[in-house]
Amino acid sequence: ASESESDRKGIQNAPEKNVDGVEWAESKAVEDEDGGGDVENLLKEEEEYGEENDFSADTAGALKWKEDLTQKAAEAFLRQQQSAPNLRKLVYGTVAEDADEEDDADEELGGLFHVSRPDKESKQKANALDCSKFPVETPQDWDLDEVMNSIRDCFVTGKWEA
Amino acid sequence: MASQPHSLSYVGCNFLRQRLVLSTLSGRPVKIRKIRAKEENPGLRDFEASFIRLIDKVTNGSRIEINQTGTTLYYQPGLLYGGVLEHDCSPHRSIGYYLESLLCLAPFMKHPLRIVLRGVTNDQVDPSVDVLKATALPLLKKFGIDGEGFELKITRRGMPPKGGGEVIFACPVRKVLRPIQSTDPGKIKRIRGTAYSVRVSPQIANRIVDSARSILNKFIPDIYIYTDHMKGTSSGKSPGFGLSLVAETTNGTFLGAELASNPQGQGTAVLPEELGLNCAKLLLEEIYRGGCVDSTNQSLVLLLMTLGQQDVSKVLLGPLSPYTIEFLRHLRSFFQIMFKIETKPSHEELQGGEKVLMTCVGIGFSNLSKTIK
Repeated sequence: ASESESDRKGIQNAPEKNVDGVEWAESKAVEDEDGGGDVENLLKEEEEYGEENDFSADTAGALKWKEDLTQKAAEAFLRQQQSAPNLRKLVYGTVAEDADEEDDADEELGGLFHVSRPDKESKQKANALDCSKFPVETPQDWDLDEVMNSIRDCFVTGKWEA
Repeated sequence: MASQPHSLSYVGCNFLRQRLVLSTLSGRPVKIRKIRAKEENPGLRDFEASFIRLIDKVTNGSRIEINQTGTTLYYQPGLLYGGVLEHDCSPHRSIGYYLESLLCLAPFMKHPLRIVLRGVTNDQVDPSVDVLKATALPLLKKFGIDGEGFELKITRRGMPPKGGGEVIFACPVRKVLRPIQSTDPGKIKRIRGTAYSVRVSPQIANRIVDSARSILNKFIPDIYIYTDHMKGTSSGKSPGFGLSLVAETTNGTFLGAELASNPQGQGTAVLPEELGLNCAKLLLEEIYRGGCVDSTNQSLVLLLMTLGQQDVSKVLLGPLSPYTIEFLRHLRSFFQIMFKIETKPSHEELQGGEKVLMTCVGIGFSNLSKTIK
């Protein structure tokens, strides 16, 4: 009896998964334009899905691993998103010069006085040292074995993949 | 020119070099305002003025206007001319500061550039001539810039604050650049380096070598660090010492790191052993970042990819430096080119940190002023 139940469950689940799959593909496609929005959508979906699934929490058996597939996928996607910030957005999204344009605009007040706001961050950046070097911010302790092991395979003495 | 292209406007003295270089290559004039406008000593500094003079020397017909306080600079680029030149660099920045920009411009001159640069060869701020020689030159070779007349020679070494070094840089010209596909850095097969000392005991270089080897030998046995002790007139005007290290891979990738002693009269004295150890650790950090090009040359490789033939170029880099990120934005404003940027998480363990894959299609820049013989 439990087997047929879970079978039915599988059939019920199938179209749902399909729908999710389509949305998944779409969200992947538009990922470049608005990565943030998708994540929110996914989060929403994830919540809804969780609620729907509650009734089948007692279903036991071989197909149990299938139940939270979308949720797991969503979680994995989110994890990936968080660990790898969208570099394209970082580089081409907001440019520091925009901020400068803005404070040009509201600099004049009544044509005679102008507000001098010490915008430390952008001013320092604009007049900072022009140097191509990329200093290491948090040096690792290269005396530790695990740190040394982290680059072990960069050398010919390390492991080679087949 | 019939119609002058619209000029670009920037604020502040940061990234001055890349702005002027990209302006020269693209032919778009730039205007830079508010250069240190709010500082006690406003305007352009000596070393920037020297840089602008250098740009004026290698080009023909550039128009440069600077206002009285030096806070505004207008630059209308001329044609890259090249030829046999010499230039006295300001001792406030090392020759590397000037050389980095020359490396970007030299392949596109009308006549092959052969220039003598005088000043500081090694300091703590900019990439030194040693490192550029070991990392940037092989990189240019990948793009097809090669041949007999391609060299970078240190004839005299000069340390800050007084300098007195001399470098000869010669580069052939090319009509077009070859696109590159550099996505596999390969494995590090050897480490080379130069421990230099001027106007101090020659023993110091040996002490640096020993301490650097002690840490690097744990990874690879093939290490050779040359000791370079220059004497007399070729030792410049100030004492100092330092170390530059370069790791070479099986695929011809060069990763560099360096350290120099504190300039005379500034800061506390540095122990040679400590310097060697710290420099070796910096090299390990650079290896951890990884990629097919090291962090100092990221912007150079991206520029050459942009200017390549109309074909896809790919390169794997370590994390992008702030300088490179700004350079990418500038490439977009000057050449309307955007890179595809993909992060590659470190799948295989033990191969360092996260990498970035940069892809673009070259704009098909060709050196029209190169004379056909």
